[in-house]
Amino acid sequence: MTTRREFLKVSTALGGGLAFGFHLPAANAQSVAPEVNAWVVVRPDDTVIIRYARSEMGQGSMTSAAQLVAEELECDWSKVRVEYADTNAQVRRKRVWGDMAAVGSRTIRQSQDYLRKAGAGAREMLIAAAAQEWDVPAVECTASNGVITHGPSGRKTSFGKVAGEAAKLAPPKDVALKDPKDWKIAGKPIKRVDIPDIVAGRIRYGIDAQLPGMVYAAIGQCPVFGGRLKSVDAAKIEGRRGVIKVLPMEDYVAVVADNWWRAKEALKELPIEWSFGGNEIASSESILQFLRAGLDDASNVVAARRDGELEQGLAGAAKVLEAEYFTPYLAHATLEPMGCTAVVKDGRVDVWTSTQNAEASHATAAATAGVPLENVYVHRVQLGGGFGRRGGSQDFVRQGVQIAKAIAGTPVKLLWTREEDTQHDFYRPLSLVRIKAGLDASGNPVAWYSRISAPSIISTLLKLPLKEGVDPQAVASFADQPYSIPNVRIEYAQRNPHVPVGFWRTVGHSQNPFMRESFVDELAQAAGKDPYEYRRGLLPATTKERGVLEATAKAAGWAEPLPAGVHRGIAVTESYGSYVAAVAELAVNDKNVVDIKRLVLGIDSGHVVNPDNVVAQMQGSAVFMLTAMFWGEITIKDGRVEQSNFHDYRMMRLREMPKVEVVLAPSGGFWGGIGEPGQAAIAPALCNALFAATGKRVRSLPLKNHGFEIA
Amino acid sequence: MRRRSFLIVLSGLAFGARADPLLDPITQGAPVKQGRVKLEMPLLADNGNSVSMRVSVESPMSEADHVRAIHLISERNPEARMASFHLGPRAGAAEIASRVRLAGSQRVVALAEMSDGSFWMDSAKVVVTLSACVDELGS
Repeated sequence: MTTRREFLKVSTALGGGLAFGFHLPAANAQSVAPEVNAWVVVRPDDTVIIRYARSEMGQGSMTSAAQLVAEELECDWSKVRVEYADTNAQVRRKRVWGDMAAVGSRTIRQSQDYLRKAGAGAREMLIAAAAQEWDVPAVECTASNGVITHGPSGRKTSFGKVAGEAAKLAPPKDVALKDPKDWKIAGKPIKRVDIPDIVAGRIRYGIDAQLPGMVYAAIGQCPVFGGRLKSVDAAKIEGRRGVIKVLPMEDYVAVVADNWWRAKEALKELPIEWSFGGNEIASSESILQFLRAGLDDASNVVAARRDGELEQGLAGAAKVLEAEYFTPYLAHATLEPMGCTAVVKDGRVDVWTSTQNAEASHATAAATAGVPLENVYVHRVQLGGGFGRRGGSQDFVRQGVQIAKAIAGTPVKLLWTREEDTQHDFYRPLSLVRIKAGLDASGNPVAWYSRISAPSIISTLLKLPLKEGVDPQAVASFADQPYSIPNVRIEYAQRNPHVPVGFWRTVGHSQNPFMRESFVDELAQAAGKDPYEYRRGLLPATTKERGVLEATAKAAGWAEPLPAGVHRGIAVTESYGSYVAAVAELAVNDKNVVDIKRLVLGIDSGHVVNPDNVVAQMQGSAVFMLTAMFWGEITIKDGRVEQSNFHDYRMMRLREMPKVEVVLAPSGGFWGGIGEPGQAAIAPALCNALFAATGKRVRSLPLKNHGFEIA
Repeated sequence: MRRRSFLIVLSGLAFGARADPLLDPITQGAPVKQGRVKLEMPLLADNGNSVSMRVSVESPMSEADHVRAIHLISERNPEARMASFHLGPRAGAAEIASRVRLAGSQRVVALAEMSDGSFWMDSAKVVVTLSACVDELGS
C-alpha cells in the first residue's frame, strides 16, 4: 500500500472532496487506517472517508451511496470525504466491495442494503470502542453527528478518537437499519461531492491522464465491422516527425508518436488495406429487409409471453388495429471519446481509463497483458459520459493495454478521435415491431399481439445463452405490459445484423415504451376515449403504473383546458424497477416546428436517496431522449457507419431545451433505479402530443425524418 | 434446480464423496477426492466468452500410473460437461491449457480420472463482471 506521505501529497494537492492523482505510486492511493470496515475509514481528526466502489459519470451515485453509509454511521456529513475503492485491493481482499459496475440503474438499488449495513456496523464498532474505554455497557451509548455519548454520565468522545480501537473489534453480526422515514442525511437534497471539483476544473477524467515520459497513440479500426487488417505500409510514415511506432493489430492499426496530433495526422497518411470479410455489402436498407423478414418468418421465432387465446380474442373483436413501429441504431456519443492510458512494465500494469466497471477494466487489463490480477492497478477517474458505452465492452482497455505492452515500459495514452468513437460504437439496437390489437364494442382491448424483430445484446455482446430464446431487453415493456388485456402474445425474432450492439441508456425501454404507449394512444383514439382515462381504466388499481400516471397527470393539470394551439400527450411505463409517466405539452406551426411548452416527468422509485439528484437525472434524461428523438440515427452504407461527428450526429442545444417539471412520487417499500427510467416515457408522451396537434401518427424515429424540427 | 443440486454436491465433495447427476456419468458413483489436480482460472473475467484455463495433475504419467482423462464441468453453462480431454502415458505431462466460455459467474470443476480408477478434483470460482444494463443477469 501507499505510504502516508504519498497519500497526503495526493490529497492535499487536490484539496476537494475527492482524491485524484496521476502519478505512479507504489500502489493505489487509498486511505488505510484506521479502517473501521471496508467502506468506512475514520481519521484521528474526525474526517470520515467513505469508499465508493462503482463509477461516477454524472449520475450522482457517488454522493447518494455515501449518504446511505453516513446515514447509518451517524457521522457529521461536513467531515465526509468520498474515495474510490481500489480494484487491486478488491482482488486481494476477495471482492470485499462487491459489484463495481455502474450500469443498469442499479448502483443504489443493488447496493443499498450492504452500504447501509456497513454504516450501521461501523457505528456499532465505534460505539463499542468508546464503551470499552469508559468501561460502560455499549447499550448506554449513542452516536450522533460523529459524537458518541454515554447517556447516564454524559461523557462524550468523537469517532476519530476511538476509531483506532474500533478497527480492532469484530464486526457485529446483525445490525438493525433505520426506517427511511427517520433518515436525516439520506433522503435529503445534499449537494453532490464532485461538483466543486468539476466547477473548479480540478476533476480528472480519463482523458486528463498525464504521466512523465508519456507517448500518445491514435487508432484506426476496420471501418467495416468484423473486418481484419490485411496489410499496412508502415515505411510511408515512419520517418515523420514525432512518429515512434506503427503497430498493426488484428482489427486495428495504432500509430504511436510523441504527441497525439502527430500520431493522428500520421495515421491519416498511412496506407492501410483491410479485409472486410463480406459485410461491406450491408446497408441500412439490407438490414431493414433482414428485420422485416423477421416479422413474417414462421421459424426462428419464440414466444415471450402468452396469455389466453390470441386468435380467438382477435376473431371476437369489434375492431382490429395493426401498425408497424421502428427505432434506429443510436450511438452513445459521450463527450469524452473512448481512450485508455496504460503502462506495462516489469509484469505490472497500470491503467487510467473512464470506465463504468473498474473491475471489468481490471480483468481485461490482466488478461490482455497476460499478468496475474494482483499485478494490475486501475486508477479511478470520473467519466466524461458513459450511457452504457463504457461498461459492457472494454474494447478501449484491451487496445490501450495491447499498445502499452508493445512499447513496454513507456506510458502511452490512447485516445480515439470523435470519428472513431461514432463509427466504432456498440449501438443501441434497431428494432422493428408489428403490433396488432383487437377492441371490444366499448373500445377496450381484448387481444394484443406484438412481434419484435431485433438484435440481441445479450447473445451478441455478452455471448450469454438466452433463456427460452428471449432477450428480455428486446421485448421489455411488451412482455411485461401491465394493462388488463385477456389475450396477449408477444413474440421475439432475434435477428442479428453485423453491426455491434450494446447497452445504450435505458436499453429496451429507450424504444419499446415509445411503441407500446403510442399504440395504446392509437387504441384510445379508435375507442374515442381520453388517452389518460383510457390507460387509467386499463391499469389495475394496485399497479404502481397507475399511481405514477395519476400523480403525473395531476401535476400536469391534465383535466385543465389548454391554451389555444397547445396540445398534450401522456405515457406511462415501468423501467429499471421504477415507474415513470410523462406529459408533454407542445404547439406545432405550419412549418412543422415543434415548440415544446413543458415536459412533466413523474417517477415512483420507491425510495428517494437524494431528491435533487433524482430531479437532475430526470432532466438529463429529457436532454438525452429529446436528442435521440429528434435527430438520433446511425445509418449503414457499404457495411460502415455513415455518421462521424456532431455535425451529422446532432446533439440538442441549450436554447432548444424545454422546461422540465419533475414529480417525485415515491410510494415506499421498494428500491427502483434512477439513471435510466426517466427516458422511458418521454418519446411516447411527446409523439402522442404531436398526434393531438397534427393528426399525424409518428411510428418511427427520429422526428427529423418526418420533417419535424424543434423550436 | 440443477445449480442447487450441483452446489450441494460441491459442498458434499469437500467432506468426501456423494452421488451427483452431473458427475455420476463420469465417476459411476466412485468417490472423488480433493487434491492432485490444480485448476487455474482468473477470479475475474470481463466477458465470459473466452476465459483462460489451465489444469495440471500430479502424475508420473507412466504406463502403470497416469491420468486417463481430465473433465471440465460447469455449474451454470447450458452444457454442464464443458470438455473431456483424454490422455495416456505418451502425453508426457497431464497438463492442459485452453479457453472456455462461461455463461456468467460460477464455479468450475476439473475432474481427473486416473489409470487406477480413482477420481481427483479441484474447483475455481470465476466472477464474470457483466456490465449489463439488465436486471435479469445480476452476477
